[in-house]
Amino acid sequence: MSLQDQLEAYLTRTGGQPAKVFDLARIPGGASRETYRFDVEVGGERKGMILRRDPVGSLIDTDRRLEFLAFRSFHGRGLPVPEAVALEEDGAELERPFFIMGRIDGGKAQSPFTMAPYGEHAAAIGEQFFGHLGKIAAADPASLPISEFAEAPSLDGCWKKELDYWEGVVDEDEEHPQPIVRAAIRRLRRNPPPPAQKLSVVHGDYRTGNFMHDGAGKIIALLDWEMAHIGDPLEDLGWAIEPLWSYGESDRVSGMLPRETAIRLWEAASGLKVDPVAFAWWELFASVKGAAIWISSAKEYRAGGLKDPVLGLSGWYTARRQDQILANVLAKLEGLA
Amino acid sequence: MTPTVPELLLGNFLALIEPPPPEAMGEFLQGRVAVTGMISMLCAQEAERGTETRLWENADIRALLRCGAARHGAAFAERAEVEDKDMTLAGMDRVNAALRKALIDLHIAAEEAGDRELDHAILRHYVESADRRRLDLPPMPGN
Repeated sequence: MSLQDQLEAYLTRTGGQPAKVFDLARIPGGASRETYRFDVEVGGERKGMILRRDPVGSLIDTDRRLEFLAFRSFHGRGLPVPEAVALEEDGAELERPFFIMGRIDGGKAQSPFTMAPYGEHAAAIGEQFFGHLGKIAAADPASLPISEFAEAPSLDGCWKKELDYWEGVVDEDEEHPQPIVRAAIRRLRRNPPPPAQKLSVVHGDYRTGNFMHDGAGKIIALLDWEMAHIGDPLEDLGWAIEPLWSYGESDRVSGMLPRETAIRLWEAASGLKVDPVAFAWWELFASVKGAAIWISSAKEYRAGGLKDPVLGLSGWYTARRQDQILANVLAKLEGLA
Repeated sequence: MTPTVPELLLGNFLALIEPPPPEAMGEFLQGRVAVTGMISMLCAQEAERGTETRLWENADIRALLRCGAARHGAAFAERAEVEDKDMTLAGMDRVNAALRKALIDLHIAAEEAGDRELDHAILRHYVESADRRRLDLPPMPGN
């Protein structure tokens, strides 16, 4: 049975009337889930949808319920977030867990590995990018659907929960000794950050490439919430301005804006302050988290029979780039750079 | 390091040899071809520089271990006595793995003893080894 047949069977059963699927096509990217666009016609009405299905092997192992609830938390709340429509954790007719969401057309996601990815619209997109992130940080997670499932750490426990998790990923998936990331983890443990100012929803992968823009300076969809959780709002800001996402540029973060401008926009939208000591911790943590993801993808690449080149590239090229970033940050923190 | 050049090139072959299902043609297949091309290009860099990079890194770790042995235990000098006899990338990576494990232990010993001189020497090694291991992705145009 083809995926299209499976999808039609599922939509027909759950909708209670015949559903016809058109133009089913897999979308590149979205390495932690298989992502497809399709149209569905029910009762003469046609809608554009997105299917996110668990892969056999993945860049990162994430919980699709959290991702689904994260979409639900921010759709219709003043941010460009697609509507989450259905979640099937047992896979139903599609055999692997999946969820379906509404599709936002007319935009494109940019690879983080392109020069000047937003061209003349970089500043306008940057203002929205960091403004939207500030609004996510400002929201009270206890009032949002994500709190039904996500654990809320204590204010002084956010850092440890995240560091424990990602060190665990390195412990489990490291196939070649990684002295640089190990040194960074030890440094983070020796110098914990101050408690979080508040608990926030953390998108978890808020960066260049994980949103769609219309090509004319407007962000139209914030995507890829698969690592969403509740934690310190500085975590997302540190990840967003991680140098890995500023390909070939040192004077703009995320290929958009100067660092100081990005932080000021985030502070204005969130109503929060960026404490330099706390933020230095979260910036180093972002590089450790990146390293853990790339270490994990190298292992998955082998486990999956070498068939997913995105995992291969991530576990090799990106891992080495992350090592460079980490080594330079560690040296700089000791006044060696 | 992982994955290796032979694995990556074999992976490129495997990624493209199987006919994709109808829904994975078009944009997805185009993206997959682009990534395999990128991997092949970077593999050429690794083939050119990989031996020299590993020889340097393994030699520099041995020097750090011998230097650190006087202050942090003779065992570190003994752990430096692993030679690059098999000059394939895989062979040198096996030696590198043993040396890196010893370096991690030495760095921990230096940190715990407050040996900033050695700590800084190791941090400088990290910067240079990461730079020598780097793969250069040529500039790709944005939209």
